[in-house]
Amino acid sequence: MKEEELMKEWKSSSIRIGSPTNIMAALTAFIPVIWLCSSHNCWPPLQTVLTAWGMVAASFGAFYFVEPISYYAALGMTGTYLSFLSGNIGNMRVPCAALALDTTGSKPGTLQAELVSTMAICGSIITNLIATSSAVLIGSAVLSVLPAIVVDGLTKYASSAIFGATFGNFAIKYPKLAVFALLIPVLLKRFTSFPPAFVIAFSVFGTLLIARIFYKNKWISS
Amino acid sequence: MKDVSEVQSVSNLPIIWVLCAATVLISVLQTTLYVRKCLSISKKSQLDPSLSRQAFRIGMISAIGPALGVFIVMVGLMASIGGPMAWLRLSIIGAAPTELSAARIGAEAYGAELGSDKYTLTALAVSWFTMALNGAGWLLFTGIATPSLEILRNKVSGGDAKWLVILSGACSLGIFGYLNSGDILKGWGNRTAVIVGALAMIFLVKTVCKKFPKLMEYSLGIAMLIGIAAAILVEP
Repeated sequence: MKEEELMKEWKSSSIRIGSPTNIMAALTAFIPVIWLCSSHNCWPPLQTVLTAWGMVAASFGAFYFVEPISYYAALGMTGTYLSFLSGNIGNMRVPCAALALDTTGSKPGTLQAELVSTMAICGSIITNLIATSSAVLIGSAVLSVLPAIVVDGLTKYASSAIFGATFGNFAIKYPKLAVFALLIPVLLKRFTSFPPAFVIAFSVFGTLLIARIFYKNKWISS
Repeated sequence: MKDVSEVQSVSNLPIIWVLCAATVLISVLQTTLYVRKCLSISKKSQLDPSLSRQAFRIGMISAIGPALGVFIVMVGLMASIGGPMAWLRLSIIGAAPTELSAARIGAEAYGAELGSDKYTLTALAVSWFTMALNGAGWLLFTGIATPSLEILRNKVSGGDAKWLVILSGACSLGIFGYLNSGDILKGWGNRTAVIVGALAMIFLVKTVCKKFPKLMEYSLGIAMLIGIAAAILVEP
């Protein structure tokens, strides 16, 4: 068969596999919480869930669109379905696909490149599943062996330390912006009683506005 | 306090593992279907059949580093949102910071804090709803719109590509600035975790990882451990 025909077959089966599985996973992810609420009769007020949804959409909503679009060139169609179902895109999927393309000497846009990057991403997904599943098995054992002070530290401080480290990583790229990104919410939280959703929006759009001004004046570059 | 221990035990019930497995299995199913399709297409074309196997192996091996990072982070996440939910969330879309943010935002909307005495089963439910709703954003968008992304990409890249990069960096800084602000105002323990975590990350990326690029994959996990250790020293 000609490469062109095979590419057509590949693209159409890519959509046929990827689209329903991604949509299905979005729905099945609700099964545990629905069971939790009905079995323990702890349904939260609809208003609270909607508020939380609004807040989380205010922080991440832009990424639902921006990330798939900006990663598309690196991942291709199949890579996009796979990566956004299994996550860890920047630190795992893209580097694995790129390395596999380099190693096999595949030219982007060819059928070979499609197959090679897809296989590499699939391989990395298996490794990730092994890691999360063994964290479940060994991780719990590790937790039970660890002294209480360590477990306590993980519980109380893990999220704070991850947020700090992630912020630090972005701050390396844009140190001037980082100052404003931190000051805006700290000052708002300390001196006003604005609701969290407002503070998030103000932090994000305030930082964005400052970035725009800096960019226009050539004070920062990408 | 009864409520808090109830949250711990309920969020680790065996049935929750089974219910979470449904979503993890969809990811396994998708991967299997794509591998099968790859192999059949590769057979029909004139491509060297060993290429597919080699690519799969490269993917598996290169992912070990970042996957170890996921392993470390997941132990922390299991403690705050429960084992099965951490397994579900880290097996599909959503890195640990995203999931923790969603869990925390859900708890805040209910008026409780993660791990506090007010964190009841209902607060847990709001956290879980928020994570599922947040993850659905990416899954539904890619599930529906991926075929049209090709066209979209051309339009977007027609604009200012440099500004797009800065735009997403600024958005991320804004979000994590907000998430840090709560910890900075909370007390010396959390304040130390944020500040030392950030400084450790900057130090690692700027010095150690420059010399040993492979360490980059572990940087977040290592910075997290340093931040936690410092916080324990300050406020055990």
